Amino acid sequence: MRTKPGPVTRGALVSALTSLALAAGLTACTSSGSGDGQAAADGTPVTGGTLTYAVNQTQTTLDPGVSSADVTGIIDLNIFDSLVEQTGASAFKPWLATSWAVSTDGKTYTFHLKKGVTFQDGTPLTADAVKKTLDHAVDPAAKSQYAGSLIAPYTGTTVVDPLTAQVHLSRPFAPFLQALSTPYLGIQSPKALARPAASYRPVGTGPFSFVSWTGQKNVVLARNPRYTSWPSGATHTGPAYLDRIQFDLVTEDSTRFGALTSHQAQAVASVPPADVKALKAQPGLKLLSHQAPGANFNVYVNTRRGATQDVRVRQALQAALDVPSLVKTVYFGQYQAAHNTISAGTAYYDPAAAASLQPHDPARAAQLLDAAGWTGRDAKGYRTKDGRELDIVWPYTPAADREGRDTLAEGMQAQAKKVGINLQRPSVAVGTFVADIQNGTYNLIDTSFVRADPDILRLLFSSDQLVTKGGANASFAHSAELDGWLAEAATTRDPAVRKHDYALAQAYVLKNAYVIPGYVEQTTLGISDTLHGVGFTPQAFPSFYGAWLAR
Amino acid sequence: MSAPDRTADAADASPPGTGDAVPPGATSPAGAAPLARWWARRAVSAVVVVWGAATLAFVGLHLLPGDPARLIAGGGSLNGTSPQVLRLIDRQYDFDRPLYAQYGHFLGQLVHGRLGTSYQLGRPVTKVIADQLGATLAVAGGAAVLGFALALLLALGTAGRPRARAVASAVELVLVSTPGFWIGVLLLSVFSFRLHLFPVLGNDGPRSLVLPWVTMALPIGGALSLVMREGLERALDQPFAFTALTRGVGPGRLRLRHALRHALLPVLTLSGWMLGQLLGGVVVVETVFARSGIGQVTLSAVNGRDFPVVTGVVVLAAITYVVISTAVDLLARLVDPRLRAVPR
Repeated sequence: MRTKPGPVTRGALVSALTSLALAAGLTACTSSGSGDGQAAADGTPVTGGTLTYAVNQTQTTLDPGVSSADVTGIIDLNIFDSLVEQTGASAFKPWLATSWAVSTDGKTYTFHLKKGVTFQDGTPLTADAVKKTLDHAVDPAAKSQYAGSLIAPYTGTTVVDPLTAQVHLSRPFAPFLQALSTPYLGIQSPKALARPAASYRPVGTGPFSFVSWTGQKNVVLARNPRYTSWPSGATHTGPAYLDRIQFDLVTEDSTRFGALTSHQAQAVASVPPADVKALKAQPGLKLLSHQAPGANFNVYVNTRRGATQDVRVRQALQAALDVPSLVKTVYFGQYQAAHNTISAGTAYYDPAAAASLQPHDPARAAQLLDAAGWTGRDAKGYRTKDGRELDIVWPYTPAADREGRDTLAEGMQAQAKKVGINLQRPSVAVGTFVADIQNGTYNLIDTSFVRADPDILRLLFSSDQLVTKGGANASFAHSAELDGWLAEAATTRDPAVRKHDYALAQAYVLKNAYVIPGYVEQTTLGISDTLHGVGFTPQAFPSFYGAWLAR
Repeated sequence: MSAPDRTADAADASPPGTGDAVPPGATSPAGAAPLARWWARRAVSAVVVVWGAATLAFVGLHLLPGDPARLIAGGGSLNGTSPQVLRLIDRQYDFDRPLYAQYGHFLGQLVHGRLGTSYQLGRPVTKVIADQLGATLAVAGGAAVLGFALALLLALGTAGRPRARAVASAVELVLVSTPGFWIGVLLLSVFSFRLHLFPVLGNDGPRSLVLPWVTMALPIGGALSLVMREGLERALDQPFAFTALTRGVGPGRLRLRHALRHALLPVLTLSGWMLGQLLGGVVVVETVFARSGIGQVTLSAVNGRDFPVVTGVVVLAAITYVVISTAVDLLARLVDPRLRAVPR
């Protein structure tokens, strides 16, 4: 375990910036560079050049309707435009749809499309493309890993006229516009979708068109010179500045970082926290970071298995752990500790919910465990009840470990031991891990879930969203009250009701210790200072439409 | 190929064994028939090796825990794959059929040379492998040649010279016991990140091959050189070496022309080990140097339970092994006249 204290001043600065941003009613965004992000602040944009962006993740398909990988979303964001643009935690603006209307029952959305837009293959944008794109995402044969689940209530689209599409839902669904704004539901060329899956080529109306994809090596995009469909909130109009973007897959952290410091890449994804100091010390480089909305990196507590069925044991675990100090140490102050299931950048985030979380207090943890009957002690110092040791099993698979999460868990293990909890971390193969998740054979499981909509809470805690049913309810939460709030919030169109419901739900899951908040996910980009104008989407994906390279 | 001292070599040196796969031509009264038998035995054992490897891959992949449909649908995360999609995958890939039926089908396809279609990429496995084979061969082939050349230089230069020998074997031991991963990262940070001599990004051009070659060649060269020097020194201790010297053969020529042959046989028998080193090495090198190739394909196929790709790579490795071991046996006959068949 690393014990070197992180730079305190930086952590303080981050939280100060965050509260400022919050006070201004903006999405929480901490830009750690020298105020990059706005093209205007950096001088006059220059057209031309190839941006080499080293990423740490690859995909099996570039089809946004199928893939669930972040990197696919980041690449496809350049190729595809969406019907609507998300401009704030719960604000949407026209994009490919110039306007839209929602029926009074909330089950029909009518979209009026922008005139004169063509796909990169020359096909005109019509209502048929909207229909084909959405049908494709929910088609079981397409085996969608994500897009389909985003629009689960979708039943079909009626093409009213070439520029009017009527989308039908089985029930009112408040997160629908947010789902449409993600690159995973970017509008695809119907001609490209008609090709067999094996020879799929991504074709959209976006600022860059697809050039090539070399297996585990790279994806190359080139500027779409005929780009006309920029979103209404864009920082500029007209085609993109960069000639080309090359996404190079470099999985090895040190290689990726070295590619940046030696200027072989102008941007790299996922800078390891331990390298941030070295990056900032090197002239000509800077760090861009943006906090992600959705579910933080959290530990979910299984309410259906072993000792953690007892709410007192779950609360004792919350009280035993001092996650914020671990986050600070392990991540050198680069990541912000979470005090809620969702991050501050998510709509209807309620800072007051943190009061329902057990504060770090080992004495309180001991009291709770005593009350729950775990009063004995065995030779190893762990608590026992009726001769059974207080074991809490938290499986992990090294293949999925990232960002030093394992180190964080080791710290929690040590803290749990202090109050007599045997927190076990069996290392298992990917397959076993998946089986564990499916069968619920764990006490704790950790994950993060980036999604710019509070409906993520329903996916995580609603009783009809068990993993076996395609959801992510890893706590096996089963509460009629909670289900009620989450369902109402997802169907109502009254923002006040949503706010109220989500506030209740956020407090409820913390109070009942379904979850132990970890840290706020963030996108961290190391860039060369010749690169300007990189923006971030509300989903915390870097956006390269306005990016340019200084000569 | 007839050195004047050939009879002396053959009479005095104890023959280093190259295994029992050597054709028994020399001792047989009729040369052609045993040779044909040897080829037939080779062919049978090749089939057995390929079948065994494919079966092991099949069994191994099915013994791995976890629902293959779920892994194909999206890896080790809590993701929203609906039960309908999972059932569809089960049906499409026959996971709902009993294991023996799946195995029978798999073997039937294999006999016909059909490796199937990648689950993850949706493309024929032969195409997936063929696309990446060139890149991997360029790395592995170059590294093997460079490693061999390095071993040759080190062994010829230091055999029988105590001081040079001590330094060389210390260096070789360090090379053999250093993880390839570490060598790669070290070379990268010095020659690419600091000195900007070689690029790290890109499979483009010979310049991007230099560091991967060196990374893989160093441990291979180190190990081969240890063995080669040992053989050289043994040969130089033989009476024939002394005889050759008294006949006026210079020390350099003695090493190159006479002793090296003796040293090459044990090196040849190491080629199986070398193939394993190269196969494992490409996975590491492709990761560290961000290159595409068979290693990367295999890694993601194993993690994503892409059975057809994994078995395809295993079959390819088995065939490569068979071809190389046959070639080595034939080469051994070239290097060591005692192993050759009687003149036909």
